[in-house]
This record gives sequence, C-alpha cells and structure tokens, in this order.
Amino acid sequence: MKALIIVGHGSHLNEDSSLPVYEHAALVRDRYAGEFDEVVECFWKEEPSMRHVLDMVEAEEVCVVPAFISEGYFTQQVIPRELGLDGPVTHRDGRTIRYAGPLGTFEGMPDVILERVDDLLKGKEMRPGRTALVLLGHGTDLNKNSGGVVYLNAERIRERGVYDLVEVGFLDQDPPIAEVVEGVEAENVVLIPVFIAEGWHTRETIPEDLRLTGEVTERADKTIFYGAPVGTHPSVADLIISRARETKEREAQLARDVS
Amino acid sequence: MRATSPERPGGESPRRSTAAEARAAFAHWVNEVPEGLPFGQIVVRALPGNGGYELRHVADVGIPDGDLVAHNEPRAAREIAKLTEEGEYRPLKSSPNLKRGWVLRVKDDRALYVAMNYLYPSGVAHWHLYRNGELEITNYRENAARQSGIYKRVQRLSDEGVQNTAKACCEDAVCLKKTLWDVDENTPLAADRGEGEIPCPEPCSIFVSLARRVRLFERENKRDLDAIGLSPSEKEDLSALVEAAATGSVKFAREAEFEEPLNERRMRYRKLTLVPKLRPVEDTAPEEG
Ligand code: SF4
Repeated sequence: MKALIIVGHGSHLNEDSSLPVYEHAALVRDRYAGEFDEVVECFWKEEPSMRHVLDMVEAEEVCVVPAFISEGYFTQQVIPRELGLDGPVTHRDGRTIRYAGPLGTFEGMPDVILERVDDLLKGKEMRPGRTALVLLGHGTDLNKNSGGVVYLNAERIRERGVYDLVEVGFLDQDPPIAEVVEGVEAENVVLIPVFIAEGWHTRETIPEDLRLTGEVTERADKTIFYGAPVGTHPSVADLIISRARETKEREAQLARDVS
Repeated sequence: MRATSPERPGGESPRRSTAAEARAAFAHWVNEVPEGLPFGQIVVRALPGNGGYELRHVADVGIPDGDLVAHNEPRAAREIAKLTEEGEYRPLKSSPNLKRGWVLRVKDDRALYVAMNYLYPSGVAHWHLYRNGELEITNYRENAARQSGIYKRVQRLSDEGVQNTAKACCEDAVCLKKTLWDVDENTPLAADRGEGEIPCPEPCSIFVSLARRVRLFERENKRDLDAIGLSPSEKEDLSALVEAAATGSVKFAREAEFEEPLNERRMRYRKLTLVPKLRPVEDTAPEEG
C-alpha cells in the first residue's frame, strides 16, 4: 500500500492555514485516484500532528510532501524531527518514507504563479502600456531561503519573457513591497503573494500598507491587480503529486550515487 | 515514539500495520455492542445488516433522524469537527465542544476509520495501541527538549509550572483525552488525568503553546511584583476581567489565544496561581453554623 502525507503549518486560531492542505488533498484523491491508497493531512499546529500521523497510516510506502514554499526552518528542522526522518529516504519499522522538497523551489511553480495571474486578470481591463508582475514574499531572519525562493521564481518567469517587468518585494526584508509597487514603472502592476495560504498578512496588512481597495485598485498612474496567494491555487495539487513522484527518482539517483 | 514491529531479518514476512489492526479492532469493538459505544463526545453504532456504521453526538442519542442533518460521506466529519456550536474554530479536537445536530452514516470500517480520524485525529490508533500496552509515552521534559525557535523557552518551565499548565489545559473540563504522560520519569503528573477513551501520549501543540505563555509568566521575576505580590500580567488580567464583566457579558478569547487575558485556559491557570494570593486559605474556610 502507498500513502501520501501532506504536511501543513496549521494554526491554533483559524482554518486559513489548514484549508488549502485539505483542499489539495481532496483534489489529489480525485484527480489521482489509485495512485495512493491513503492521502492524509497533518500539521505542525493542528491535529493530526506530524508526531502522530504515521501511527494512523496503514501503508508501508509513504511519501511526505511539505506544503511549504521554501526550504528552511520547517522543511529542514521541524518536519524531519517531528516525523523522525533521517533524510530523503527513511527506512523504519518495515516502512519506507520518502521526503519531498518544498513546493516553491519546484520547476512547476512558475506555471502555478502564471495560472494565478490568468485567473486574476480574466475579464478585467488593463491599461495600455507596460505590465509588471510583482512577486511578494515574506522574508524572515529565521528562514534565510524564504527570500531566495521568490527571486528564483521571478528569474524563471523573467526568462519566459511574458511580462515587461518582473520584480520582487517583501514584508520583512528589503526591498519593501510598498516601495516596489509604488516605484515600478508600469501602467499595470500584478501583485501575487508567494505564500502558501491566506492569512492576516494577505487579508489585512498588505491591502492596508499598499492602500488596496480589493482585487483592482486604480491609481492616477497605474492599476494594481492583487491576487490570492499561489499556495491556494488548485494546480498546487498537481505540484504536490509531481513532488511526490520525484522522490522516487531522487531515491534512484541516491542509490546510483552510492554504488 | 511509534509502535515498532519486531525486526525481521531478510524482510520476507509482511510488515505489521498497527493502523490496519486498529481500524479492524475498533470496528470489532463497535460491532460487539448493538446499542453503540461512546468515544470522546460521539457514539458509534454498527448498523444492523449492512456492515455500515452510524456516528452522532452523544447528546443526540435518541433524537429522531428528521431533527438531525444527515451526512454519508466520511470526510463530512471534518466539517462537523471544525467549528463549535457558536461558530468558533476548534484547534483541539478533543475539546469537549463538538457541535450537536448531525448524524453521519458510513458504509464500512475503512470509511469509519476516515471519519474517526477527522473527529478525533489518530484517536483510534492510539486507543488500540494503548489497549495493547504498545503506546509509547513521551513525557514533558523529552517533548520540551525537542522544541526549537519560539518554543525553546518551554525547556525552562519549572516542574510546578508544568503541573499547573496541565491542570489548566488537560483536565476533562477542557480536554477529553486521558493524559498519560508525566513531567519526567520521576515526577508524575498531578492533574486529574481524565476518564476518556482517547489516550494522550505526549503534550500537544496547544499545551506547548500554553506552556510557553506560563514560562513567560514565571519570568516576571520577584522584582516585577508589587507590594501585595501581584505581577504585571496578573494585574492586566484582573483589569481585563473587571472591564469585561462591567459590560454585562464576558466575551472570552479564542480557545488557544493564550496571549489574551480572557482565555479560558489562561484563566484556569490564574485560578490555580492567582486566586490563592488574593484569597489566602484561612479566608476560604467554610463558615460555621
Ligand atoms: S496535552 Fe493536554 S490538552 Fe493536549 S491533547 Fe493531551 S490532554 Fe489534551
């Protein structure tokens, strides 16, 4: 039997954080029926905890995919520790547990970001002139890679040449998002949070700091389009599956490297 | 932490899945008792004849079906378990605030297992391991030693702080799990461990979060106490309580919002540590006659 475990952060206060994990799990059960016998959610701050999720899973082949954007504190310390993982592949109690990388660094991520943009702009009027895509990251001291993953995705999208400009801005590090949005030289600014879930920032602090009035904000010199976080997009379910499949290849690669 | 199956050299024999055993054992347990069995705040009953099962709130036993909202998808259990009657988010599924008014019928033991894991996540697996004497327990100090980041400070919580946090957080009034862990191997928990069917093998994340808060209270050291021995946070809580009560209705903070004064578990902790300061023992002796 095979199981897929999707790990989310979770929250003690509301369902914002766990909801996308449940939704992606439901989509995986639906779209990839038969690939996994069990698709189970678990969390850092909700139940089932990472600590106990393996107790309730029946399968002997388990794949763990973190629903996190960047490599860092959670994916490198907390998740392996709580799940008792030794690395990309763990053999324990007759079980094989494969641990996938985070979603944000995956090569499929730019596609999800662009789908998010398409959804946002559908049926909306753009100004004549240039269009800039601005990716918004959290950026913290605890997780040095959280900025890197936003730059990585910006670069990958830039290479495709679909926007006149692709910029990045952050909440907790430079460049501050408000400055980027104000300063960017484009008539249309498409702002997409590279976050895994909705929350206090996406709903309150960001709209407040940037004086946004909703999905579309008209300014004298530009129109700002504000999208939902990438992590809640239904295509993330496909990203999770790709990540899960990739762990097998990674294992084969590791085996080759050893021999 | 996990139940281990004996090492099998060569690995020829199939792996033992304690989760599959738990699923079967739970169904068997329910099948044995036609009127149904309580588990947390629900009653699970085998439906005669078709191999299916019915779940409902223990307070809804005997209520006609027509008065309940019927579900037959095991994953509907997640929505049922999500909010309290009052619409508050339930971060701890073993809190005694499961809403009433629903009935869930599922087709077999697998569907029952899925539903149970949304109502009481990993509850059936732990129930089974505990009954077999195979549930591994992690005491507070081991759990704290693992914490990092903003939770690292719980390592310095005093034994007394752990005991009071457990009384405030884990007793049946606020959590229906049976608390099996101790402070450390030599220091048993003083809290009432509870009578429930669902074992708690290790401090949960809600507990660790409250423990962090209590550790911050402990750090308000002697220098911060006023002439009658009250700490700044104790005075803040008392003021908030008085102000709220003066409006005629006390609106409590959310269940795990421990930074807010009017949180039930935070108040339970204050009852243990603040009330004795305000009302010394001799004052509470019952009046004679
Ligand atoms: S640690 Fe306490 S509050 Fe948390 S599940 Fe166990 S008994 Fe309940």
